[in-house]
Amino acid sequence: MFIEVSNLKKSYTTGEIRTEVLKGVSMRLNKGEIGVILGPSGSGKSTLMNIIGGIDHGDSGKVIVEGVEITNLNADKLTDYRRGDIGFVFQFYNLVPNLTVGENIEVVSNISKSPLNIDEVLVAVGISDKKHRFPRELSGGEQQRVAIARAIVKNPKLLLCDEPTGALDYQTSRSILQLLEQVNKKYGTSILMITHNTAIAAMANRVFRLRSGEIVEDSINQMIIPAERIEW
Amino acid sequence: MTINKRISRIIKENLLRYIGVLLLIVLGSFTFIIASGISQNLDALVTTFTEGHKQEDLSFRTDKAIWEIEELEKAANGIIEESYSYDAAITDSLTLRLLSKTEKVNIPAVVDGRMLSGMGEIMLDPAFAKANGYTIGSQIKTFEKTYTVVGFVSLPHYIYPLKNVYDTVVSPNNFGVGLISQEEFASIQNAATIYAIRFDDRTTSLNKQAAKFRALLHEKGIVDSEWIDIMNNKRARTVWASITGMKTMSIPIPVAMFLLCCLIIGIMIWRMIRHESVIIGTLYAQGYRRKELIRHYITIPLLLSIIGGVIGSLLALPSIAPAVLSMISYYNVPVINIETNIVNILIGILTPLLFLGLSSYLVIRSELKRNPADLMKGDRQKTKVNTLERSLKLERFRFSTKFKLREQLRSVSRLTFLFLGVTSASVLMLLGFTIMNSMNYVFSNSTNDTYRFEYEYAYKELQYGKAPDGAEIFSAGRFYSENNEGIEFYISGVESNSTILTLKRSVGNPLPNNQTNITKPLADRLGIRAGDTVSLINKQDGKAYTFHIDAVADSYAGQFIFMPIAEFNQQLKLPQNSYMGLWSTKKLDIPEEQLLGMKSLSETASAMDEFMGPMVSMVVAMTLIACVVGLIIIYLVTSLIIEENKSTISLFKIFGYRRREIKSLVLNSSTFVIIAAFIVSIPIMTASMDAMYGYLGNMINLVLPTIISPLYVAICFAAIMLTYQLSKLLCTRKVNAVSMTEALKLGAE
Ligand SMILES: Nc1ncnc2c1ncn2[C@@H]1O[C@H](COP(=O)(O)OP(=O)(O)OP(=O)(O)O)[C@@H](O)[C@H]1O
Ligand SMILES: [Mg+2]
Repeated sequence: MFIEVSNLKKSYTTGEIRTEVLKGVSMRLNKGEIGVILGPSGSGKSTLMNIIGGIDHGDSGKVIVEGVEITNLNADKLTDYRRGDIGFVFQFYNLVPNLTVGENIEVVSNISKSPLNIDEVLVAVGISDKKHRFPRELSGGEQQRVAIARAIVKNPKLLLCDEPTGALDYQTSRSILQLLEQVNKKYGTSILMITHNTAIAAMANRVFRLRSGEIVEDSINQMIIPAERIEW
Repeated sequence: MTINKRISRIIKENLLRYIGVLLLIVLGSFTFIIASGISQNLDALVTTFTEGHKQEDLSFRTDKAIWEIEELEKAANGIIEESYSYDAAITDSLTLRLLSKTEKVNIPAVVDGRMLSGMGEIMLDPAFAKANGYTIGSQIKTFEKTYTVVGFVSLPHYIYPLKNVYDTVVSPNNFGVGLISQEEFASIQNAATIYAIRFDDRTTSLNKQAAKFRALLHEKGIVDSEWIDIMNNKRARTVWASITGMKTMSIPIPVAMFLLCCLIIGIMIWRMIRHESVIIGTLYAQGYRRKELIRHYITIPLLLSIIGGVIGSLLALPSIAPAVLSMISYYNVPVINIETNIVNILIGILTPLLFLGLSSYLVIRSELKRNPADLMKGDRQKTKVNTLERSLKLERFRFSTKFKLREQLRSVSRLTFLFLGVTSASVLMLLGFTIMNSMNYVFSNSTNDTYRFEYEYAYKELQYGKAPDGAEIFSAGRFYSENNEGIEFYISGVESNSTILTLKRSVGNPLPNNQTNITKPLADRLGIRAGDTVSLINKQDGKAYTFHIDAVADSYAGQFIFMPIAEFNQQLKLPQNSYMGLWSTKKLDIPEEQLLGMKSLSETASAMDEFMGPMVSMVVAMTLIACVVGLIIIYLVTSLIIEENKSTISLFKIFGYRRREIKSLVLNSSTFVIIAAFIVSIPIMTASMDAMYGYLGNMINLVLPTIISPLYVAICFAAIMLTYQLSKLLCTRKVNAVSMTEALKLGAE
């Protein structure tokens, strides 16, 4: 088992009020699979993903990624974990505005042990001609491609995507999903993706549905539809 | 207006930053008020004293007593008074110059105690009394007689009580003056008679009146010697170096501080408005007027400048009097009263207000000019890439280099601020060290390198024959340049195979003494180069003489032209084989009455050491101030960089960058700017130094070279880098505090 989350709990206390964001979540994903997390706003999707990605802590429960129980890691070890194994893609791309496309990718390749070739990655995400542009000079879709390139350049074991198509139009969204699919095939990267869009679940191996901090559905997709044929 | 409630919150959020700006303003106002306060007060004290107590315009000695004083006074249109001077030895190393009390010229002023009322009484120069432990009522014993100290005195022609007029620093431990009644001199043998004149006409050139007066003396068959006019009298002029020094300090430092504040406040406000442009747009849309918003945003800079100006003034005001007193303690001037000039205080408070108010008004207005719709689009615009960033071709650099370069070039105004700030701090620091170094160089190294004698003896009358063993003969005459009467110097005739005088070429090999050599500072001032033939005027007879200059010597030990004594005598039509003085490696046994004066080099050196003491503390103070300024500036810039990069830092953390790596990327990005700024500060310092020394040369006829010591540069560099490390340390916390979710939230806003 690649990712194994069991009985993960997390709550926030603001003033007097305690909100339980994750109320004992358990889930698992195999190596090389694409998992999709669905659920309404505020249900705890991002919180769950952030804990798996090692940028947030749970209160109790276990998160094991490739045999390592990350809930036990100290801050330094967590940094190493993120540095080595995890790639992030965000809804709003989060590129560094004053670095060029190439340099944005270098941000990550600079610290990884055996990064992929930047130009090769740029070709893979289809923006090899934009290497010297600045983020502002790219469309949303192109920026998200840069973000994906940045995430995969270190050849991570796990790619975490929080609503990667949330800010994009239909056509662009589809091409981004195709790209993720290709990455998954080409590099064997496991992908965990958050989305509001139920239709997207069709391309995943596994679908998790979250509601108010609880997994209400955990299904294995028997009939995977390639991204290019998904419509909504 | 309710939105004004925000102001205190805004200030609280970035307290350290606003305190930094405030400190710069305080420093600017403080320096201005204190420096101008000192210079104006000193100026007033000195001028009141010299005018009120009739400072001489010139003094001289004669071969015979002048009987027709009244007649001369009428003819020269001035007042003339005869006085006596006698150097009494208190101990081997302590000399007290006894001067007779005068009534018309150089009128003594009682600083403490009372005026002389009869025989056996003496008034002392206070610094001398203090250094040697004489109080009012105590007794002072000279070889000949014992006097009772009845008071302390200031004399207009001994404001800076130098033993020899051409000395540079006073040494109260070795020399002082005492005033006794004229009658005392009846029993003192070998006292010198000195005449002092003060012209009634205060507007006509002193040199012209002096020349006329001298001609008058010659007509009467009186031969003068030791002719010293007040403009060349260091005892009277040195104090003006301090006054001018303070005067020149009072402008550039405050201006630099205020300009830096303008820049940084401009940047901070611009960023604040950019950051809040959505709110501003919304407020506009709801009917807020631009005027109201301008008023809102300008409150912070106005508040800062008023508070800073007031604090600066409040700190400066009580410090003026002690500062004036401590400056004046080097001089002997009666302190009547020390005034605080209201205009200065107003300038100290209003200038930062004007500087900051105007600059932030311009920034705010240009930002608020944009239309509401534009404003409401938000500050995504701040990610605009400027042309400079775009034109950079950084391919071949390492990632960290690229990142740092981009980070610095992202905001030209921020870069300018950092650069100018570090440059001014470095200049300030280097200035102090270099002044100290030049002084030290001129008064110890250069003097010791040039002269190998220990004692200099000047005879009253021309001497003939051979010098005793271990001594060499010399002659000297005072000259000035035809087109610049302010530059006065000695031309000396020396033995053509002298081993005592060692002049060097700039490359270091010695120049022969059988030719005419000019020292570098004098050559520079007169614009003379090797091979030139110059016409110079002798002060004694007012006639022009022509000299051919063979070489320029790289010696800063004074302003001199040296030539073989035979040639010198021939030129000045002095008898062959005659000479005026001796340079000796050991003490010579010459009867006191034959001598005009004797100078000991080691005495001068020890006086110099005394003088360097306070100099060192001044340099330390300047260095500390420079460090504080540097710290504030670097801290401000670093904290701005961190704030602008919050989301980037957050992203770096998410991607697994270690703390150390982030710190190195973000905090070290200023390193090369700081180093560049420091390097640039060296020529700037040299230029301002040369300008300042040029000024000093004109004011007190003292020429100092700007000599940059690698050691001091290294010390300054270390101090700047240390400051940089400290400010990084202060900012580390800020970097660590950036949370990983910052990037995620910012994106979602
Ligand atoms: N720092 C925090 N402090 C307090 N509550 C928080 C904090 N972060 C998240 N929450 C709460 O946790 C809950 C889950 O948030 P989360 O971001 O995981 O939701 P989500 O499912 O990702 O929603 P969306 O689809 O809108 O992104 C929300 O109710 C939110 O208010
Ligand atoms: Mg979310």
